Amino acid sequence: MNNEQFEEELHVRPLQDGRVYTNFVFKILLKNAVPRSANTLGSEDEAQHYTVFPLALGQIIREYAVTELHLSLNAGKWDYASWGYPDNPSVGSGAELWAWMGEGDEKRVSISFDARWQGLRNALAGLFCASLGELDERRTTSPVYAFQPDGDLPAESMNLAYAFHPSENICTENLTPFIKLLPCKSRSGIASLLNPHRLFDADWHGMSIRVLWRADEGVEVQLGVQAVFDPIRLRGQQKRDWDFPHIFDRTITRACPVAYSSTIRVDLPLSGPYTLTPDPITAGNGTAVFDVMSANKPLDVSLLYLNEAHFTYPVDPSPQTDLSIARSHTGTSQAHGRFHVTLTNSLNHPQRVAYLETPPWIIKFYLHTLTVTVDQDPRPRKDIIQKLTYIPTSSNLPTLFEPTLILPPNSTVHLTLDFDKTFLRYTEHPPDAQRGWDLPPAVLIPLSSNGSSAPPSLPRMYTNTLLVDLATPDFSMPYNVIIMTCTLIAMFFGNVFNLLTREFIAIKVA
Amino acid sequence: MPLLAQILARLRWRPQNGEKGENIDNASVAKKYRRRGAAVDKIYRSMPTIRMLLYIVGYTWMLLLPSSLFGNQTYIDENALQPGQVATYWSWGDVHSADVYLGQLEQLRDRNASSAEKAAYVKSTFNALGVTATTQAYAFQTGNSPLSGVNTYAVLSAPRTSGTEAIVIAASWTSLNGQPNLRGIATVLSLVSFLKKYSLWAKDIVFIISDGYMDGMQAWLGAYHGLDQSSLDMEPLRLRSGVIWTALTIDYPGHSFSHLGVFYEGLNGRLPNQDLMNSVNYISTYTANVPVVLYDHLDEQIKDILPKWLPQSLWNQKEFRDYFIRARNLVKHVGYQTFGRASGIHGLFNCYRIDAITLFAVPAAGPHGFHAIGRIIESSLRTMNNLLERLHASFFFYLLTGSGTFLKIGEYLPSAVIVSVAMIFGGLQIWVDAGWVEQRPAVDEKSQEKNAAPTTVKWKTRHRNALLPLIIMLVTHVIGGFTFLLATNTWFITLPTSNTSYLPLIPFSLVVFSSLSALLTSPDTKPIKVESLPAPLHTLLKAFNLCLASTVISITSVLNFSLAAALAVLLGVPLSLASPTRGLPNKTAKALAYYAILFPLWWILFSRPISHSIWDWQVLGTWFAPFVCVVYWPLVLQAMIVCMLDPDC
Repeated sequence: MNNEQFEEELHVRPLQDGRVYTNFVFKILLKNAVPRSANTLGSEDEAQHYTVFPLALGQIIREYAVTELHLSLNAGKWDYASWGYPDNPSVGSGAELWAWMGEGDEKRVSISFDARWQGLRNALAGLFCASLGELDERRTTSPVYAFQPDGDLPAESMNLAYAFHPSENICTENLTPFIKLLPCKSRSGIASLLNPHRLFDADWHGMSIRVLWRADEGVEVQLGVQAVFDPIRLRGQQKRDWDFPHIFDRTITRACPVAYSSTIRVDLPLSGPYTLTPDPITAGNGTAVFDVMSANKPLDVSLLYLNEAHFTYPVDPSPQTDLSIARSHTGTSQAHGRFHVTLTNSLNHPQRVAYLETPPWIIKFYLHTLTVTVDQDPRPRKDIIQKLTYIPTSSNLPTLFEPTLILPPNSTVHLTLDFDKTFLRYTEHPPDAQRGWDLPPAVLIPLSSNGSSAPPSLPRMYTNTLLVDLATPDFSMPYNVIIMTCTLIAMFFGNVFNLLTREFIAIKVA
Repeated sequence: MPLLAQILARLRWRPQNGEKGENIDNASVAKKYRRRGAAVDKIYRSMPTIRMLLYIVGYTWMLLLPSSLFGNQTYIDENALQPGQVATYWSWGDVHSADVYLGQLEQLRDRNASSAEKAAYVKSTFNALGVTATTQAYAFQTGNSPLSGVNTYAVLSAPRTSGTEAIVIAASWTSLNGQPNLRGIATVLSLVSFLKKYSLWAKDIVFIISDGYMDGMQAWLGAYHGLDQSSLDMEPLRLRSGVIWTALTIDYPGHSFSHLGVFYEGLNGRLPNQDLMNSVNYISTYTANVPVVLYDHLDEQIKDILPKWLPQSLWNQKEFRDYFIRARNLVKHVGYQTFGRASGIHGLFNCYRIDAITLFAVPAAGPHGFHAIGRIIESSLRTMNNLLERLHASFFFYLLTGSGTFLKIGEYLPSAVIVSVAMIFGGLQIWVDAGWVEQRPAVDEKSQEKNAAPTTVKWKTRHRNALLPLIIMLVTHVIGGFTFLLATNTWFITLPTSNTSYLPLIPFSLVVFSSLSALLTSPDTKPIKVESLPAPLHTLLKAFNLCLASTVISITSVLNFSLAAALAVLLGVPLSLASPTRGLPNKTAKALAYYAILFPLWWILFSRPISHSIWDWQVLGTWFAPFVCVVYWPLVLQAMIVCMLDPDC
């Protein structure tokens, strides 16, 4: 017990559009542990005896020698403009998995990087009941700038594998195994607020697993659930007051006994009179903190806005983030289309960013059609793009398109890029062929300015996913069409073939 | 390879004069060959009868389309739709909010608010409801009158979804009957706060209040889909959602309504998936108890339309009345589809592969109002929300004869195709005949009387010069193209006459053609021996003309049946009858008759001035005007040239 530490925290933040952002973080630290090196994969691993650290996850990490792992399953569209940045930046809609793993020495490693990546995603798919097996080589890339490790990496050659599956949504079957990994399950502590009926009704919701190594502390697992609730919809009246029973339909009745700490942080409204009950332990810097261990049970935190009979939505609200990104595609053709990316920098200084696009093989970019313009000026600006990492698609591998750009201060940069849509063989279509293909979100990664090695100050941002229509046959008709066409061809072919090969001769009959 | 060589040898083989077969002994093959020859001969001889029969069958078929011989009950093909399976929550509170919005909209109307003012009002209303909204200004540079306006739109991001798909609910400021569509807009505004209460939406819902009638929606859809239209100057859209699959446009101009009218024709004859209409029909009838009609056609109006002198006994027959009720729907449909016009703003969506219809609240004294239309829209949205894929299943080819009856493609398509078959048979027969000439034996009259039997007639092949007629046809189409360029020219559009008809444009092309045909006619070179001459020009021109017209009809029939049927009716018989005559007055009279019958008929029948068609082309991209200039009118001109040519030449 001494070398494992479990902490839990709930962060509640009211948003400007009346919604409430909640972030559950469960941290389990395995003190002084060191990730397994890829070179030791051939030999017997050390024994794993855990008390609160999730064994199921620990086994997977050791089995495939994973140093850092990020898995997130999200549903909904994160609205950066009115909700700001989330605590955990992985908010792309769908399933995202990225891992840093050692390559190992060529002579000593017994199992290849790709095989371990495959084993990892299949093991996680089994653990969380999610279609993570879809994150195969058709979706796996290794971006250069995006997805730098949050923790430390050991001094051996490490590699990144990143994959995104936009069509995989989170649901109850993913949350149940997630809760199972917690030491108190959902019986006590703040985890008891994880009510699937409410969580999966939230406007935006997602769960995430982070495994990382800090050289001075040990291996840390962070299990997180983020959700954005709409009290106005939940209450059925035009008021943004919130409390635990209204949001989660539950209160905290018991504290988790094994938790080292269990706190609830509530960001306080910036203006207007309000009452927060019960009294927090500390309140300052716009944040109130509750200690679940010592608080009276049942614990029901509520925030009431006084003198507000009706909540009025802000008119023309200002965006909550300094950078913004929007991506869309145009073109009605089933053969080609065009991406439009709009990057806005409202900072007063130039910002260096990387833009990551990893479309699957059904999309083929034409790099020469890449145009960059700033604001309303139609002139192309080649100087905006600093570097360009581009790995075109081949056979069924995805494209990696990752330029770094300098966004001028207080300006909007427009990128356009033409692409071709693949003509699929009819067996390659998914069962819901007429729906189209989901494209993973693009990622905007703010980078530190040139030269300095300081970590970027802003978190990464995701665009929405896109749906692309490919040329699709009407699958409800193929048999009729095949039969009809074959009959006609047989008829015409027979006749024409006869006419061409037989010789008709006029003869005299006596 | 030997097989290929054999085939090539067969293709190169020509019957030589006097060549005789060698395999005489193969009697059964000979018999078969002879029998086949006899059959072909018989068919060939009775070709005029066959063609006449085909014409009769084709035209009769068209006349029978509205009868009860054809037609099926509509049904829902896509299982996912599940129309009318949900309880609706639209309540009187929402009706009240619609009434409040209506009051504010009426104030805007009464003080003649500008486009920008109206857009600002709608935008602030959307914002107050907690939905992000913005405006889009646009301006069309068309020939006669510049058009500009401001659209307002809002995106309700569906909770819990990635927002890759969207449903559109739209209303234009002007209704399709020309009245202001205030109640339609009030309905859309009150829907916003209502729909926001539920987390069940799987697709984003985009609300569009488009300015004007067609123009606003054209600008919005163009900007959304990256359309590059030279005549259109529009703001880019700042808000976006996913791929739009289905759309409903709400048109509620009156105070109350008795029936829900469905308008469905899209631009250039495109139709939305029939499942959408069938679902709305089902929901309206069974959820909201509002009867559904096509367009604004009420069944009882048929009495006012038909002539009064028809005997009462006919009136009392249901069959008879039903025929005219269905025929009325079909005629209206053909009117829209032939001209490629959209019957409402929904028609613009079809170009972008979005299935859309207009729900038209047929103005009446009652009994339905906001409550009924709200429930219909709510339940329809739930049905559209159920879709897992786009509507597909080949449900795009149909003719609706009533709100609940339709004709499948196999029931209506043959009528036009049969006429086109008759035409191509005619053309091919003329082509074959032109290759032969009768060789009269040089004998005196006495012996000719004796051997009156047809066996003595000898046929000889003659040269057919296909190049000249093809050049003539090409020139007609090129001149048609020039005519079109002229018609779309600014100075022509500003001519006062262009607002009334196409007529002023045509004499110029007529003059061109008279001179051309005069050049082609050379009366001096009268030959002595007919059989040594190549085939006359007029027969070849007529053959090609018929073949081309037939091809155009059969190809168009799949794309736009109404246009193909109209072409079959207008061109079928007249082109087959075109023939040269002697003497300039006769020729001119005949050619002018063609001009008089085929050209203005087109316009007078439907009284559409040219400026409307040109506007449709320039603003909405309707193909009708270029089609008439480049395809239809040259076909008529070719027939006129046939009439102008000398019979012997």
